[in-house]
Amino acid sequence: MAAKPKIAVYWTGGCGGCDVSFLELGVALLDVLAQIEIVFWPALVDTKRADVESFAPRSIAATLVNGTLRTEENVEMVHLLREKSQLVVAFGACAYQGGVPGLANLASREDILHRMSTNGFHPTPPPGGEREDAPPELLPQAKSLADEIAVDYVVPGCPPMPPLIGLLFDALLSGDLPAPSHVFAHDKALCEECPRTREDRVLSKVVRPHELIPDPKVCLLDQGMICMGPVIRGGCGAACPKAGMPCTGCVGPTPNAGDPGLAMISALGSLVRAGEEGPGAFAAEDKLLDALVDPLGTFYKYSLPAYVRTGRRSNR
Amino acid sequence: MAEAPFEPKIVAFLCRWCAGAGADLAGTSRIAYPSNAVPIRVNCSGRVEPEWVMEAFRSGADGVLIGGCHPGDCHYVSGNYKTRRRVYLLRKVLAEMGIEPERVRLEWVSATEGAKYARVMKEFVAELKKLGPLSLERKEKEPTAAPVLPRVGS
Amino acid sequence: MGRGPRIGVFVCHCGKNIATTVDVPRVVEALARHPGVAYAARHEYMCSDPGQDVVKKAIKDHRLTGVVVAACSPSMHETTFRNAAEEAGLNPYLVEIANIREWCSWVHDGPVTTDKAIRITRAMVEKVKGNHPLEPVEVGHAVKCLVVGGGISGIQAALDIADAGYEVLLVERSPSIGGRMAQLSETFPTLDCSQCILTPKMVEASRHPRIRLLTYSEVESVTGYLGNYHVTIRKKPTYVDPDKCNLCGDCARVCPVRVPSEFDQGLSERAAIYVPFPQAVPSSYTLDEVNCLGLNPLRCSECSKVCTVGAINYDMREERIEEDVGAIVLATGYDLYGKEMMGEYGHGTVPDVIDGLEFERILSAGGPTKGEVRRPSDGKVPKEVVFIQCSGSRDPELHKSYCSKICCMYTAKHALLYRHNVHDGTAYVFYIDIRAGGKEYEEFVVRAMEDERILYLRGKVAKVFRDGDKVVVWGVDTLTGKRIEVAADLVVLAQAMVPSAGTEELARKLHIACGGEGFLKEAHPKLRPLEALTAGIFLAGAAHGPKDIPEAVAQGSGAAAKAIAILASPTLTHSPEVAEVDEDLCSGCAVCVPQCPYGAITPGDVAHVNELLCEGCGTCVAACPSGAMRMKNQTDAQVKRMIQVALGGEPVEVSRG
Repeated sequence: MAAKPKIAVYWTGGCGGCDVSFLELGVALLDVLAQIEIVFWPALVDTKRADVESFAPRSIAATLVNGTLRTEENVEMVHLLREKSQLVVAFGACAYQGGVPGLANLASREDILHRMSTNGFHPTPPPGGEREDAPPELLPQAKSLADEIAVDYVVPGCPPMPPLIGLLFDALLSGDLPAPSHVFAHDKALCEECPRTREDRVLSKVVRPHELIPDPKVCLLDQGMICMGPVIRGGCGAACPKAGMPCTGCVGPTPNAGDPGLAMISALGSLVRAGEEGPGAFAAEDKLLDALVDPLGTFYKYSLPAYVRTGRRSNR
Repeated sequence: MAEAPFEPKIVAFLCRWCAGAGADLAGTSRIAYPSNAVPIRVNCSGRVEPEWVMEAFRSGADGVLIGGCHPGDCHYVSGNYKTRRRVYLLRKVLAEMGIEPERVRLEWVSATEGAKYARVMKEFVAELKKLGPLSLERKEKEPTAAPVLPRVGS
Repeated sequence: MGRGPRIGVFVCHCGKNIATTVDVPRVVEALARHPGVAYAARHEYMCSDPGQDVVKKAIKDHRLTGVVVAACSPSMHETTFRNAAEEAGLNPYLVEIANIREWCSWVHDGPVTTDKAIRITRAMVEKVKGNHPLEPVEVGHAVKCLVVGGGISGIQAALDIADAGYEVLLVERSPSIGGRMAQLSETFPTLDCSQCILTPKMVEASRHPRIRLLTYSEVESVTGYLGNYHVTIRKKPTYVDPDKCNLCGDCARVCPVRVPSEFDQGLSERAAIYVPFPQAVPSSYTLDEVNCLGLNPLRCSECSKVCTVGAINYDMREERIEEDVGAIVLATGYDLYGKEMMGEYGHGTVPDVIDGLEFERILSAGGPTKGEVRRPSDGKVPKEVVFIQCSGSRDPELHKSYCSKICCMYTAKHALLYRHNVHDGTAYVFYIDIRAGGKEYEEFVVRAMEDERILYLRGKVAKVFRDGDKVVVWGVDTLTGKRIEVAADLVVLAQAMVPSAGTEELARKLHIACGGEGFLKEAHPKLRPLEALTAGIFLAGAAHGPKDIPEAVAQGSGAAAKAIAILASPTLTHSPEVAEVDEDLCSGCAVCVPQCPYGAITPGDVAHVNELLCEGCGTCVAACPSGAMRMKNQTDAQVKRMIQVALGGEPVEVSRG
C-alpha cells in the first residue's frame, strides 16, 4: 500500500474558523483522516517551524493555508510551505482574496499600530525580552495568499462549507486533480441555488438587514437588501438567503464576474427605480443609492486586498 | 532634459447615436480640442461597464469620459439612465477607494453638440491636469495624531 | 497556414483631410508592426473603387481574417467596406472602421495627431481580433395582422392592410365599430356630417373579404414576438344571430328593461336588447346579459317571443378565437376625463353641466333631442350657454397636465353649431389660449368668433353651481381683469381626453409601456412615433395621445404601412450584433430582464435573448452581475484589450518635415 499523502494545514492572519470548519465534515472527517498523514497543523498537532524546515522540498502533498497575510512571519511561513509542498491550497476567504481582515486596508499600517498602542498593545518585546520575542512586524497592507506565492487551488468560503471541503479532499485523495487555479465552488451564481422567487426586478429601496424582516419567499434584493448573490459563486447552498440574510459574498465572484464590486455597482445602478425613469427621478434615485451604507465594505467584505487600491492584479 | 508637462491620458466611451455623432460633428466643424482622449465607440452609454473604467485606470488612464444622449433622447430609450445611476454609485465607491471621483465624467452630448463635445474635452483635460497623474498604488500616510478608527468600547 | 489572426489595416489619406495632420505612412508603419497585423497599406481615397480594390485584393492575397479601415466616421463608409469585404469572401462583421478623421485629423494638430490616430487604429485591430463571423438573424412570420379598436383609426389601418392583400382581424370591444367618431355630430373645420363620412368606411370594413370583424370582443392574451404573435380573443355572446336579425326592433320595444344608452352618453335610454345606433356595423341587435332580466327564458323571454325570424338564442356561449399574427396595431381610442372629477364645476351633479361628447349627441340629428339643442334637466332650449375649455387639461395641480389638443377646435364648432341652432342664443367661451394649429383651423375659429359673434373670454372659470333653473358661472376675464358672472342655461365642459378604459391592462398583456398619463408610449418621440417599444406592435389614434380625426386617420395609415412592411417581407432579418447568454454561467438572477426596453429577454433557469427583438444596446450585458451575458463582437475581453492598447506603449515619435 502506498504511503498516505502528507498534508499540512497552516493559519496566518485568520480567526480560526477555517480550522474548525473541518469538523463540519462530521463522520466523513474520520474517513479523510484515515487516508492522510498530517505533518504540520499548528492548531491541531504540536509541530513547529523547525519541523517544516527539516522537510524535504515538495515532500508535503498539499498544504492548506487559511488566513490573510498580515505579518512578515506569515509571508516567511507561506514561502517556506510553498517550497516544501507539491500543492498549495488557499483555504477560505482570507487566503483566497484577503477576507474580512483585509478590510483593514482601508486604514494605513501606521493608523492600525497607533490604534493598537492606544488600546495598550505594544508590538515591541516584553520588558526584559529579546528582539525575537517581539511580535512579528505588520505588513503595510493585508494580502491574499496569491499576492506572495503561487496558489494551485482555492476552497472558498468564510469558513469553507463542508460540501466544498469535500470536493477538495475528493480531488486530492482520488488523484483526479482539476486544472490549475480551480476554485472548488460552482461557476454559476448563488441565485441558481436560491429558492427565493424573483418577481419585480427593481430596487425601489435599500434597507440593511436589521431594518427588515424579509418576506420568506421573495428575493432579498427585490426587498431592498443588498444581496451579493447574483455576483457570487454558488456551492454554499444559498445558506444565508435561505435564513433571511443577504449573501455577503464569502465564496467570491463567479469566474466571469470580474471585480465583484464593480459588477454590483453596475447591477444595482441598473435596478434602481424611484418612479418613472427620467430627470424627474434623478434626485430620488441618488438618495436611494445614498442609503447604501459603506458600499466598499459591502461589496468587498471578503476581497478588498484582491481588488482595491493595489492595481497589481485581478484575481480571476 | 526637462520633464515634459503632464498630459493626462483619457479613454472616452461614446455612444453611437449622440455623443459619438457629436464628436463627429466637432470634426466636421473643425472645432479643435486637445487630443488626450482615445475614443471607443459603443452602441449605447448603457453598454459601458464600471469594470471598463477601472481597466482604463489600471492601464494608465488618468480620466474616463462617458458620453451619452441627453435625458429623454436615448436611442434605446433609457440606457443613459442606467449609466447615470451606475456612474453615481461608481464615483461614490471610487472616492472611498481614494480615487478622485472627478476622474470619471459623464456628459450628455447630442448629435448637434459638436461644440459641446470639444468644450467638455477641454474642460476635462484642464481638470485632470489639476488633479495630476492617477496613482493606483497605495499612498502611505503619516500616522495621524488621533486614532482614525472609532474606539471599540470606551 | 498559421491559425493566429491575420488582420489587414488600410489607412486612408482622404486626400488632404487626414494626411495634412496625420503622418499616414507613419501610421501604416506602426500598424504593420502591431501583433496580428498581416498587411498594412494606405490609399489616397480608400472609399474609391480603386481603394476598395486594394482591400479586396489584400483579403485574398494575404488570406486576411479581419480588416480595419482607418478613415472617416463609420457612419460614412462602414457599409461600403463591409460590402467590399463580403465580395472578397470575408464575413462583413470582421470589418471595422477606425475613425481617424472626424475624431482625430480634423480636430488636432501636431505630432500628437499621428500618435492618436495610431492608438485609435491599434485599438480597433484588437477589436477585430476578437470579432467572430456573424450571419444576420432570419425568421419566418405570420402574414395576418391584428387591429385592436374599431374606431376611425383602427378602421383605416384595417382597410389599408386588407387592401394591400393581407388578412386582418379587427377586434372591437363594443357591439359596433365606429368608435367616438360615430357619436359626433359634425366635424371641424368643414362641418361635414360625421356619420355620413364614417359609415361608408364602416361598411367597407365589414364587407372586406380580408377583414374578419370581431365586435363585442376583447383581446385576452398575447404571446410571442415580432412576426409571430399568438393572440387569443374572447368574443362575448350577443345572443342574437346577426345573419338572421333583420333589425325590425320588435325585441327592443317589448323589452321591459331600460338603461342609459352608452352611445348617447346616458342622455337617452335603451333596452337590454339593443342596437347602439341605427347605422351600427354589424347591423344586428345585441342582448346585454348584464341588464337582461335573465337569460332564463322562464323569467322573461319577451324578446324571443316576438322575434319572428328566430334570431334570438339564449344558449349562445362565449367564443375563444386563437390566431397567429405577424403584427399588431393598437387603436383603442380615448374617453373623456370624468365630470365627477371636476369639483369646481359641480362634480358632475348639475344636470345642465355636460361634457363635449354629451353636447355632440344633443347636436346630432340622430341624438336624444333629434338635433335640437335642448338641455337635459327640463328639455328647454338654452338661451345662454357657457363653454369651458381646458376642463381638466393643462392643470397639473388638480387634473391632467397635458393639452388635450382638440378642445379648442371642437369648442369653436360647438359654439358655432349652437348659434346655428339657436339664433337668439348667446355663447360664451372661456379659454386659456386658442391652439388652432391645423389646416384651416385658425380660419374656423376666427369665423366662429367674428361671424357668429361668440364671446371669447380669456380666463379660467373658478366655480360653476346651480341656482334655481340657472347654472351660474364665476370667472375672470384676464384681458380686462374683470370678474364675470354668467347665469347660464347650459354649461359645456371641454373635458380632457384620457386613454380609454382598459388601455393599461391591454398594455400589460402586450408587455408594452404606457407613459405617465396612461397613453401608449411610442418607441421614440421623434423618430418612431408609430411603433411601440416592442417590435411588431404599432400605435394609432388617440390611444397614443390626444388627436383629431385627420391625425388619427393618418396614424392609422402610417401604422398600417409599418405593419405591411413586416407582413410583406419574405423573412424578417435583423442585425446579429446582439446580446447572448452563456448558459453555463447564467444563474437566472434576472437582473438583465428589466433593463431591456424591448422585452427581448425572457427570464428562467437561464435568461434567453430573442435575437429578433434585441436592438444591441448592451445595457443588459453591462448590468449582468456574473458576466454571463455577452455582446456579440463587443465582449468585455475585446473592449479591455482595446483600452489597454489605446493607452499602452510609448507615444509615437513623429518627425515631420
